[in-house]
Amino acid sequence: MDGNKDKYSDTVKNLPNPGLGLGLRSKHFNYILEHNPAVDWFEVISENFMDSGGRPRHVLRQIAEKYPVVMHGVSLSIGSTDPLNWEYLTKLKNLAHEVKPIWISDHLCWTGVNSLNTHDLLPVILNEESLKHICNRINQIQDFLERPVVFENPSTYLTFKQSTIAEWDFLRYMSEETGCGLLLDVNNVYVSAFNNDFDPVHYIHQLPHDRIVQMHIAGHQHCGTHIIDTHDRNVVNDVWNLFNLAWQLTGGVATLLEWDSNIPDFEAYHAELLKAKQYMSGLAGINDIAEKLPDEEAAVSNPVDFLVSDILG
Amino acid sequence: MDETNFSLTQLQNWMQGMLIQHVPVSTELVEVSQVVNASKRLSAVKHLDIYRQSYIARLRACMQNQFGALAYALGNELFELFADQYLDANPSGSYTLNTLGQKFPAFLEQTRPDAGEEEKETWPDFMIELAGFEYALSEIFDEQAIENNTTPTNDAPDELLKLTPVFHLFHHRFPICNYYLEFSQGKEPDLPFPEESFCAVTRRACKLGLFNIRGAQYYFLLNMQQGSTVEEAKGELVKTFNFSRTELDKVWIDWRRNFIASGFFCLKEADKFGK
Repeated sequence: MDGNKDKYSDTVKNLPNPGLGLGLRSKHFNYILEHNPAVDWFEVISENFMDSGGRPRHVLRQIAEKYPVVMHGVSLSIGSTDPLNWEYLTKLKNLAHEVKPIWISDHLCWTGVNSLNTHDLLPVILNEESLKHICNRINQIQDFLERPVVFENPSTYLTFKQSTIAEWDFLRYMSEETGCGLLLDVNNVYVSAFNNDFDPVHYIHQLPHDRIVQMHIAGHQHCGTHIIDTHDRNVVNDVWNLFNLAWQLTGGVATLLEWDSNIPDFEAYHAELLKAKQYMSGLAGINDIAEKLPDEEAAVSNPVDFLVSDILG
Repeated sequence: MDETNFSLTQLQNWMQGMLIQHVPVSTELVEVSQVVNASKRLSAVKHLDIYRQSYIARLRACMQNQFGALAYALGNELFELFADQYLDANPSGSYTLNTLGQKFPAFLEQTRPDAGEEEKETWPDFMIELAGFEYALSEIFDEQAIENNTTPTNDAPDELLKLTPVFHLFHHRFPICNYYLEFSQGKEPDLPFPEESFCAVTRRACKLGLFNIRGAQYYFLLNMQQGSTVEEAKGELVKTFNFSRTELDKVWIDWRRNFIASGFFCLKEADKFGK
């Protein structure tokens, strides 16, 4: 197993930086096919395509011929105590064989037990027992997929009393034990830090920066007492500032803007992504992480309605 | 309150129960504050509530997405009531959300408000048919099929015609296809009265096509779907409905042109290459 760990670790360290990417959403299919916009790469939600025998898969084939693609999943459920879902993993592997993504990612989370799926990215308990459990599952999955998998820090809305390991250390140990890569979601750090009383700057400093192959940025909704990771609006300055810090510490990695609800037209989405260029040099404002006034409307974390096929699109 | 020492399995079962089963927090043997940390702004219960509230809101939004016409027909309030009950009774067991509403039409049938009455109202029948149709469309949209067949020209011989790979027929007690088409065009259709209707759904170049057809056309196409050639399907129509063969041959010219234009037919593979 150690041999594979080193092999995966080396692969992760040699993964390319494709630049600034966008999430591929069905709303933008026609625009992308017609205009071939100058986006560096696209991230696709694996579950949106793995069962499709129709338009989504047909469009993805065309886009994968023109752009680098990363497969990002929401159903691996790496932290679950249920057995691994080999049917799901087989479909994931088949999709990867067809699309040839530069890497495959998912989240440090669990989505359900007893064969149920909450379709949420639920927080894992951070202790020795779960670290061992998760590393064991990562090893099995990487060997099955014959490639390292990249794991993202989720946005969290609670912490468990039984947790004994800080999330940044948990991610470090995970990557050391399995050779997996890390996807640093800067917005998730900001959201989780506000919700669970930790310092986001400290979190980002503590991560193993050489294991980070990608970053996510996104908008969120501030509800006063907590922040919800809504992916439905522009990125706030505080998150851009954290991104700037992470950019310096990682030396710059592939960066993607997530937008999953109230999705704007393609040009507005792309313009928001390109703001990242302003934060890819210098160290402006990293100590200026201020609390923001709350937004008004009700929020839903991790919106998933965009994961249902848009048959009229 | 003391900390509870859960195993990983116990903790995940506990948390999932709190989300899916809507277990009232106060009746649980284990207090949330024994498992979850409070923060400087929120109590442990409020932290868990974020997940509890988002769970149902998130899946309800997916149901609304998958059953848009039904949600319009029922009105949002009633739709949410049915959707919430359905999600309570049928939590998702799949990695994909595309199958979330798979059992919804059957659930609506089982829980129809007039289930115990001898005299049934008609509106639940409409809602159940509409739900079934919408779910079927989502399945057809993603159906596995190779769509590189050749579309026939108007002068292609009948014996070279076969149904296109993604082709489905529907027979309803209400004008379901009409209602769905009007809804999807942004109109605001009224609840229809019962009226037998037939429709065909095709997928060409990965896009769905919905077509209202007549009863006789439905049975003709149904025969072809079951393996009949054009000639055999015509024969079945004459035999079953006592149609005049001469009259059928006359209308067939129009049917054929319309079926080809609508993408119902493609050319048989072997014949395409002259074999």
